[in-house]
Amino acid sequence: MTKSSFFASASALCLGLLLSLGAGSQANAAAKCIKGDRKAPYTIGWANIYSVPTWMKQTQGTIEAEVETLKKQGLVDKLVVTDAQGDANVQIQQIQSMIDSDVDAIILIAGSSTAPARVLADACAKGIAIINFDSLVDTDQVTAKVNTDSAQWGDQAAKFLIDAIGGKGKILILNGPAGVSVSDDRRKGADAALKAHPDVTVLAETNTPYNVAPAQEAVTSLLFANPEIDGILSLGGALSAGAVLALDKQGREQVPITGENARQFLELWKEKGLKSWATMQPNWLGAFATYTAVQALEGKDVPAFVKIPLPVIDNSNIDQYLARAADFPADGYIYSPYDEELFKKLLAEQ
Amino acid sequence: MNTVAPSGQAGALYWPVQLRRNVGVRSLFAVVMAFLVAYGFLFPGLLTASGFAKFTQSWFPLALVAMAQAILMLTGGISLAIGAMVSLGAVIAATTMTGPLGIAGGAAAVALTGVGIGAATGFIVVKLRLPAIVVTLAGSFIIGGAALLILPRPGGAIPEWLSDLLAGNTPAAFVLLMLIVLLWKLYLATPLGLSLYAAGENPVGAYRSGVPVDGARIAAYAISGLLCTGAGLFVAAQTGSGDPVIGTAFTLNSIAAAVLGGIGFLGGQGTMRGALAGSLLLSLMISVMFFLGFTPVAQYVAQGLIIIGAVATPQFRKVQQ
Repeated sequence: MTKSSFFASASALCLGLLLSLGAGSQANAAAKCIKGDRKAPYTIGWANIYSVPTWMKQTQGTIEAEVETLKKQGLVDKLVVTDAQGDANVQIQQIQSMIDSDVDAIILIAGSSTAPARVLADACAKGIAIINFDSLVDTDQVTAKVNTDSAQWGDQAAKFLIDAIGGKGKILILNGPAGVSVSDDRRKGADAALKAHPDVTVLAETNTPYNVAPAQEAVTSLLFANPEIDGILSLGGALSAGAVLALDKQGREQVPITGENARQFLELWKEKGLKSWATMQPNWLGAFATYTAVQALEGKDVPAFVKIPLPVIDNSNIDQYLARAADFPADGYIYSPYDEELFKKLLAEQ
Repeated sequence: MNTVAPSGQAGALYWPVQLRRNVGVRSLFAVVMAFLVAYGFLFPGLLTASGFAKFTQSWFPLALVAMAQAILMLTGGISLAIGAMVSLGAVIAATTMTGPLGIAGGAAAVALTGVGIGAATGFIVVKLRLPAIVVTLAGSFIIGGAALLILPRPGGAIPEWLSDLLAGNTPAAFVLLMLIVLLWKLYLATPLGLSLYAAGENPVGAYRSGVPVDGARIAAYAISGLLCTGAGLFVAAQTGSGDPVIGTAFTLNSIAAAVLGGIGFLGGQGTMRGALAGSLLLSLMISVMFFLGFTPVAQYVAQGLIIIGAVATPQFRKVQQ
């Protein structure tokens, strides 16, 4: 009894705080899809596209941690997880099942940037809070989308590399899979900088899954064909690790390379003394999506798009990242630290 | 029941024969029924019109590709290009239907592409005597590449009303599937259809008996292609757009559904109803396990066990006999 009354007063206090925060703008503006008929504790559905990659496991880890926190606050009572095993059609079916079982919120990484649009519209019409992060769907029938800017990712990476090779030279470009929006957007983002520097010649481009082995294989065969390479514009962390390993195995000198916060790549960076730059798709996007879903269900207005600033790793701060390496899986990603304060700030900033 | 005498005799044989053909897949039917009942129990909304519609919509494309694969396997062939064909059908539909070709033109383009590529594949496999697995694997790269050329990234559009018609709250998909099954029954009554099983089980014997073996096999590839791009069109309508890699998973799933349904790899063995039941089971498992609250890892294990169970039971009986 005392416990529940404590929670009641605590949540009343929270609500009061929220109201006073929102009072300046529109006090009662509910977020998209929210009808206000759902009451805490909520059931959260996490519609994963593919649970096997380490990045996904780490992301799910942050979601589960956030759910535990929200459970303690009495806001969430259940997390339902599905795994579409990479099949966008299965993901649609699983989202349909979530609607059928009447979850209160759906957070998802989409397997296709178009395919889930119609089923999400159905969910939105039922008053389910939908937070879409990482791989986004081209629809406005969601409560909010959360992502970093993939074009900016590509642009910053290209600018660093062009600068690192002195504005001219021959480079390789390593992309993620073809036909996938994130991969496509990062590549497009790099275009402007590349066009502005006609002395930078693109020798070849690869499309591989975001994994070390296929990237290493692809780069190895390109090394045979290209005796002279000045830099590598890698648009994914595991791809960078694969490229560095390929150069190393062939006894070739390391060249400036861009990358991501993959632990393996950061360790190689330090070990080989690479000239590098890296950014990241923070795993805590998952935790943030969960947090945002609950905020929206609690009646708080959340922005339709939350742009997460890209954290940058360079020689000035790589040691801070590597110092925490032991807390992350060997083939995982060392993401920047996060807490509720950060989440509040991100939601308020937009 | 039958007024004409000869068909009366055939009719007397029809049901016993059909029942005998069910022998190998009885346990699969039982499992599918059990899953259907479980699903209805766990999710009573299944029995409403829209619940039934949504469920059959998620099954429909898989049912089509299972049929597409089963036709080929019955003739002793196989296709690894099923998924790529679905993707191609989807992107053609999504890029043509809102353009000058219109819906009829777009649907015709999808159908012609399916039949054309299917027939060409069949011609290469049958006339040049190349292994189907190699030809269709190479074909999957070409077709998948073509889909990416037409639509480099997900996009395009399908007219809203068509999406609502095919994948709205009406069981249009189920009606379509019943029509297709009916057409399949009719096809089996034509000379080419009759030759299908013979061409698969004993091609040499069939050829010597005057069966158009090559024609039956090429026709099977053409029909298979049509079913695949048709499934692609449906997926595009269901999702309201095109995605150049949406079909990828269908290749393996079509083989899984066909094998689960008792279709043999060597040709001439199995029934279409088996393949359909196999695809239904694959689709049902996803939803039922969700409602049972299985974690993804437990689902992997359970799926494997159910598949082995459904395939092994008839074999186990055979061994005992």
